[in-house]
Amino acid sequence: MAAEELRILTRHLGAPGVTGLPGYEAVGGYRSLRRALGMTPEAITAEVKASGLRGRGGAAFPTATKWGFLPQDVFPRYLCVNADESEPGCFKDRVLLEELPHQLLEGTLIAAVALQASHAFLYVRGEYRAPRELLDRCVAEAYRAGYAGQGVAGSRFGCELVVHGGAGAYICGEETALLDSLEGLRGQPRLKPPFPAVRGLYGQPTVVNNVETLSNLPYIIEHGGAAYAALGTEASPGTRLFCVSGHVERPGTFEVPMGHTTFRDLIALAGGVRTGHVLKAMQPGGGSMQVLGPEHLDLALDFKAVADAGSSLGAGALVVMDETTCMVDVSMRLVDFYHHESCGKCVPCREGTYFESRLMHRLEAGLASADELLTLADICEHMEGRCFCPLGDTATWFVMSAYRRFADEFRAHCGAGCCPVRAAAEAAA
Amino acid sequence: MSAAPSPPPELVTLTVDGRAVSVPAGTLVWDACEKAGVFVPVYCAHKKMDPVAVCRMCLIEVGTMPKLQPACATVVQAGMEVRTATDRVQRFRQGNMEFLLLNHPLDCPVCDRGGECDLQDFAQRYGPPRSRTAITGKVHFDKARPLSDRIMLDQERCILCWRCVRYCDEITGDRAIVLQERAVHTVVDTFEGRPLTGPFQGNLPEVCPVGALTHTAYRFRSRPWDLQRTPSVCPGCSYGCTVGIDSRDNAVVRFVSQDNPDVDDSWLCDRGRYGFPELNRQDRVLTAELSLEGPVRAVGALEAVGAAARALAGVLERHDPDQVACLGTPQMTNEEAFCLQWLGRDVIGTPHLDHQLEPWPDLAPDEFRLAIRELEDCDTVVVLGERPEAATPVLTLRLYKAERKRGRQVLRIAADADPTELAGRVRDRGRVGVVAHEADRDRARAVATALAAANGSVHRLTLTEGMNGRGCKDLGLLPGLGPGYRRLDRAGMHGRAILAAAAEGRLRALVVVGPNPEMEQDPAYEAAIARVPLVVALTPVRGLLSRHAQALLPGRTMAEKQGTVTSSEGRVQRIRVALQPRIGAPPPELRLLVELGRSLGGTWESAPLATPAFDVICDAVPAYRGTRGGLRAAWPGTGGAA
Amino acid sequence: MFRELIGGLRITMQAMLRKPLTIQYPEEQRPVPPRARGRHILHRYDNGLEKCIGCELCSGACPVGCIYVLPAANDPAHPVSPGERFAERYEINLMRCIYCGYCAEACPTEAITLGPRLDLADYKRERLVATKADLLEAWPGFRPPGGAAGGGPR
Repeated sequence: MAAEELRILTRHLGAPGVTGLPGYEAVGGYRSLRRALGMTPEAITAEVKASGLRGRGGAAFPTATKWGFLPQDVFPRYLCVNADESEPGCFKDRVLLEELPHQLLEGTLIAAVALQASHAFLYVRGEYRAPRELLDRCVAEAYRAGYAGQGVAGSRFGCELVVHGGAGAYICGEETALLDSLEGLRGQPRLKPPFPAVRGLYGQPTVVNNVETLSNLPYIIEHGGAAYAALGTEASPGTRLFCVSGHVERPGTFEVPMGHTTFRDLIALAGGVRTGHVLKAMQPGGGSMQVLGPEHLDLALDFKAVADAGSSLGAGALVVMDETTCMVDVSMRLVDFYHHESCGKCVPCREGTYFESRLMHRLEAGLASADELLTLADICEHMEGRCFCPLGDTATWFVMSAYRRFADEFRAHCGAGCCPVRAAAEAAA
Repeated sequence: MSAAPSPPPELVTLTVDGRAVSVPAGTLVWDACEKAGVFVPVYCAHKKMDPVAVCRMCLIEVGTMPKLQPACATVVQAGMEVRTATDRVQRFRQGNMEFLLLNHPLDCPVCDRGGECDLQDFAQRYGPPRSRTAITGKVHFDKARPLSDRIMLDQERCILCWRCVRYCDEITGDRAIVLQERAVHTVVDTFEGRPLTGPFQGNLPEVCPVGALTHTAYRFRSRPWDLQRTPSVCPGCSYGCTVGIDSRDNAVVRFVSQDNPDVDDSWLCDRGRYGFPELNRQDRVLTAELSLEGPVRAVGALEAVGAAARALAGVLERHDPDQVACLGTPQMTNEEAFCLQWLGRDVIGTPHLDHQLEPWPDLAPDEFRLAIRELEDCDTVVVLGERPEAATPVLTLRLYKAERKRGRQVLRIAADADPTELAGRVRDRGRVGVVAHEADRDRARAVATALAAANGSVHRLTLTEGMNGRGCKDLGLLPGLGPGYRRLDRAGMHGRAILAAAAEGRLRALVVVGPNPEMEQDPAYEAAIARVPLVVALTPVRGLLSRHAQALLPGRTMAEKQGTVTSSEGRVQRIRVALQPRIGAPPPELRLLVELGRSLGGTWESAPLATPAFDVICDAVPAYRGTRGGLRAAWPGTGGAA
Repeated sequence: MFRELIGGLRITMQAMLRKPLTIQYPEEQRPVPPRARGRHILHRYDNGLEKCIGCELCSGACPVGCIYVLPAANDPAHPVSPGERFAERYEINLMRCIYCGYCAEACPTEAITLGPRLDLADYKRERLVATKADLLEAWPGFRPPGGAAGGGPR
């Protein structure tokens, strides 16, 4: 079991001037694009299929399969790059945007060739202003060098790159909400069917891919899909960026092979739980996913293994919480996040997250009665699987898993008049 | 020669709560449930709008799918098993109602919607037995904010079903209402907070399922249980929208739409909907008045009829019947119009009859061949100028529906556009419709002729003025045309000529039924009426006409009598008594006109009531037979009744 | 036979000598129980504003339809009730009323209750349709001009 990073996606990170075009070309950048231009779209897709690449935005949908949903003869088609990274605990796309922007652009263009897309829209989270400005400069460089626009690298293929900034909505990371936002409408999810692959941006077939997903394409084209699949395991091929944050010595982003690495390894890469403290809980997958405990440390970072344990790898984040953490407090903060980010379209999420949030604040302050815990369970029951989009589901997963796992701690808050965990910590100090 | 009829849609069979039901392919589960007799509660779903599935109220179990599915957005599949009454569904409905009530204000006692509110009804039927909202507090917004002079918005009551937003997008196309902000702070708003200016705002309180959007005109007027609803026809124009007249204490408090898919398609225009105060006017002619000899004195209506008959008989002894004229109004019912033309032609013997100012000697039913509903089926609809939509505003919504939902072409051209140039642009279409106002009928005819050569079929719809302008025409209240457009040997003077003759002192007597807004707006009207020595007037309201009548007979508003009226497209519909006449009130106009005719020696065989009078009409005008239930009259050569 | 006669007459004599239960109304009056449902009262808040908000729930709940309410919007400068809405006209047909108290139960603001007045007989029907002026309670501390009792605030 490796406790080391495997720098595939980030192999060029830190190379001199790699955020600019000359520096990127110096390390072999845009060679894969040229190679892809000489391949048929079917051949490119076959390589991606062989690589077993799955979406890195959280849903982990096989990328080649998603590409295959586009109808044969409908043009124009569009590619959207989902750079609206807003999941709590997730900052890996930011690393790629800030450190390897041209790698993303190359991957985007390779995908555009495979999809025969006439335009690629890069939707960048509104709060990522500096990364977006860098991306603007890189796109301009790419145009000047002939890698974007008509006649990409001297070929007959043309693809326009458009960078678009969001305006501060987590929901715009959901692909159909992203499309509406891109079209200038309110960023709210759309009714499916029709699916974006059939009728997406401006009514045309559209594929939405994550930043990390596309950034893998230059390597896959250069070394072949099989080589990529060989890293990681059969069920979870390739490498992945994981963000580790919370109560660790050295929070950061680490690239590890999937399946061969365990949670313990990952935390070790981040310097371990902070000195003098003990792991109490950890949340994989970003703010949406269910909580795990110390008994899961030796679980492999594998989609199936984590799913069997009742959680999900999601968008590749791990938040580590030690014994000083009040689980009710964490739940409250996460519920507040979903309440703030709810788009307001559907009743259960809009009102349910409001209800949850107010209730969790009461609970954390020790003002809630034991009945209110039942109310909390009811709220979550009526949200999960009932909302217009998965945001409603994710607003319930952590808090319900925390309630099940730390039921005594939740109950201890009822009628306590304050947070007992915090009170105990202050008493000990 | 119209487009080939499409094959009947394929039927899909599914079960809803164990009951089998067959519906056309493409039907939504919600509609299939309705057909199966199973009620599924909805807020955001609306029959005339595309589904959005945001309220989640219609979630039901479908087959083995693990998650509940929205009935309003799920299309039926063969063999689908839909379950709407399971524990899971019931539990969720209760939970969803709790969510909806969470931030909803406790406004029921002061909210105009109370008693006819879907939130109240579903809360009672599906909602939680007690409230747990004391722990949360409610989000607050502006209340009682006027969006215009006729619509009020109470944002706290809004359940964000999006119907008003979608109404402005899909039905009117003016996109006047949008949503701002997000999550529980989402609000309904207008562009830059400016007031609404469209002509169809009054439909908003009807699409809104709660009391967030309300009529200013109905604010704090009544409760549903105080109201008496009378199905009738809107008197605002000749389109013939069906309305429910809601009255309280014998005054009209509002019009509601009655959803006639052939005419209004459940939308009313503001001019018609908010025109009901006309029916509550207090400046009425309630008793008959005579000033034949000496000063004005009030008398019983039938006594006045007798005196008027004697006066008219006196005129007819000394002078030619040609020196008497009869003027009606497009606001008359068919029965009254038919009676007036009988009085004028058969009893008095004058050919000078009309109900409008301008002549229309070559009028034929072909002017009105196209039905309103058929506008949606035309490949291209040509609209001449602005007059059609100004005269009958709801037409605009039907045209927008044809464009947006049916993909038809709607061409609005200038009224004086060159027909040959137009024929160059509009060719090889299967069905073409030409819509024009009666003032532009000659141009419309030219356009239709020009287009007929290069297209499959070209039919016209001519929009008349007034609630029953068409009926007056069909029944021969015209000089030169008898009932059923029968050409007469002797043509009389038309309206404008009658007024000119009166002004020049060439008329000895005038029988006038009012009010006639078109004539009264004409500057020549008052001088003309004043010049005639004997004016027998029949009108419900005080005005120009009542001032100059020697024998003034009391009339009724359209809400106080029954009868039929015919819309521009030839649809014969009933108006009914919504406001009861008081005890001792004079008889309705029809009786007074019949008695007037009988007193002059005329024969009217049936009882002077609306229903037998309609039978008389059907005998004289066979096209009116079979129009019971609000059907179009079947004129020969015009393709039959619909 | 004689014995039965004596027995019956004995009961009659006992009854004759017993004190009668008759209350000489109206000089004597039976005490009215505290929850007796008599003539209605429209209540006010301590600041003089009427509690009735013209919601018509009483009229809707009434099983005999004897209540007439005409709501209206408050003039913000001179509000009659707190909030947006008040009853411009409020009438109860005391001849139709069955004094069931459903109106009081339905009222969301406790504006209408049934009070202790049971002496409602009259010779004229018009006087038995109680109007708001008849039903409104006096405002404590308020002296209407002319000294009329139980009148409206104006």
